[in-house]
Amino acid sequence: MTAYNAFTQEWMDAWKEKINSSKEYKEIAKEWEGSVSITVNADPSKNVPEPVYMFTDYWHGDALDFLICDEAKAQTAKFIMIGDYARWKQVAKKELDPTKALMQGKLKLKGDLTYVVRMVKTINKVVDLLTEVQTIFPDGD
Amino acid sequence: MAYDQDLSFVYFGPTKIVFGNGSSTSELDSEMSALGCSRAVIVTDPGIIKVGILEKIIKALGNKCVGVFSDVPQDSGMDVVDRAAAFAREKGADIIISVGGGSAIDTAKCMCILLTEGGSLADFEGIQLLTRPQMPHIVIPTTAGTGSEVTWAAVIYDKSKGQKILIVESYNAPRAAILDPVLTAKLPPLLTASTGMDAMTHAVEAISSIQREPIADAMGLHAIRLLYKHLPQCIQNGSDLAARGQVQLAATMAGWSFGNAMIGIVHAMAHSIGAVAHVPHGVANGILLPHCMEFNLPDAEDYYAEIAQAMGVYEKGSSTKQAAEAAVKAVFDFTKKIGHPQKLSEFGVTEENIIKAADMSMSDGSIVNNPRMVADSGEVLAIYRKAL
Repeated sequence: MTAYNAFTQEWMDAWKEKINSSKEYKEIAKEWEGSVSITVNADPSKNVPEPVYMFTDYWHGDALDFLICDEAKAQTAKFIMIGDYARWKQVAKKELDPTKALMQGKLKLKGDLTYVVRMVKTINKVVDLLTEVQTIFPDGD
Repeated sequence: MAYDQDLSFVYFGPTKIVFGNGSSTSELDSEMSALGCSRAVIVTDPGIIKVGILEKIIKALGNKCVGVFSDVPQDSGMDVVDRAAAFAREKGADIIISVGGGSAIDTAKCMCILLTEGGSLADFEGIQLLTRPQMPHIVIPTTAGTGSEVTWAAVIYDKSKGQKILIVESYNAPRAAILDPVLTAKLPPLLTASTGMDAMTHAVEAISSIQREPIADAMGLHAIRLLYKHLPQCIQNGSDLAARGQVQLAATMAGWSFGNAMIGIVHAMAHSIGAVAHVPHGVANGILLPHCMEFNLPDAEDYYAEIAQAMGVYEKGSSTKQAAEAAVKAVFDFTKKIGHPQKLSEFGVTEENIIKAADMSMSDGSIVNNPRMVADSGEVLAIYRKAL
């Protein structure tokens, strides 16, 4: 299996491919509408010298745009998620449940929380599929 | 009770509790001073003024009370928060004191954000966006059930969207809650029963949640002990302040329990039937709880056996399964003993309503924390039918 450097366009393409080839995701996410941006806060000690902004868009079970972007584009998303590199790495390695992380303040989310709560299965599935992408992290493992 | 080997959690419960008969008047001033505050705006609803609770609190504060905002409706909205925050700003408030039930408390929580951060509440819709402590807030609850006095979530109606928005912020947990049993003495029996069952549901669901953890379990189990013993006494004799106090404490402990470990299918179904048929939240929880426990039983034996012990219905020598079954039966019997409504149809719920609510329940976030995985809306509908 090919391994991808985290937070690169190739890595995002591989993630999008996983989502679009999942029948289970299509079923779970058939009502999801809208984009989610992910901000990874800079952590120079872990080889993340600048913040990373990613834009992901979903519509009724399909993944649309999956892009590395700038801060301005990230701010246009329906939902904005922000967290430290170490937390996102834990999520991507399935060591941290994203819902728990939000409740515990390890990640932040701006947007309609009632919608997210209703659609939590969709979010969990998107994260599950990310964990299937073999990832090389900036700090080496 | 066994926990996963890789158990990992954060327990959060920063609210100071001050408890005692008459504490809402005797302790308020010193609690304000302890927070370094001297200019309080009280947030409440017209019903609280009507029953004469507020007068004593205002008197206790003396000139430290710089204003009272009493226009909080039952389901408070962003427009109310805007007006209340403007009022508090104009009065130069340095602390908010909420007196009432969930609506007054949530209005006050949202006011604290606007008074600290400025801007519009819509800017803070989300979870954990704040980066510093907010304006101090002391809660004086007048019901015993929601646990709102120690949770850090607020639900507020957004008229422009036609829906409620949810704001969850650790930095916005109330600094103190003053639990004064005297304030709950006049709650009528039905309201006492339904708010008590709301607390019972918080505790049972937290203990059996997939996010359960030992501290929340301890809070939840003791809440069940107290409710099981003292809630019937409150129904029998509303002015039994000792029993009222224990039920208040139970509701607060259950609030900490579910605030950390989350809730499950009962709440998913209660939210949905509330939205479809306007069944009051506590009543829906109380009716649905034993039926949902019956559904969860195969995957929740260990937790329900602990609940049986807390209720004192565990018989020595019985198996885990037998003990769990005894807990479910005890909850059914308990709702009858306290005169709690037994059927959703008593509130006008129809077959058509429950079909719609069963579908809605599947997309309610609470359901994902349930101990038994819910396969489809047919399973939810079957539970609703038993409770109809």
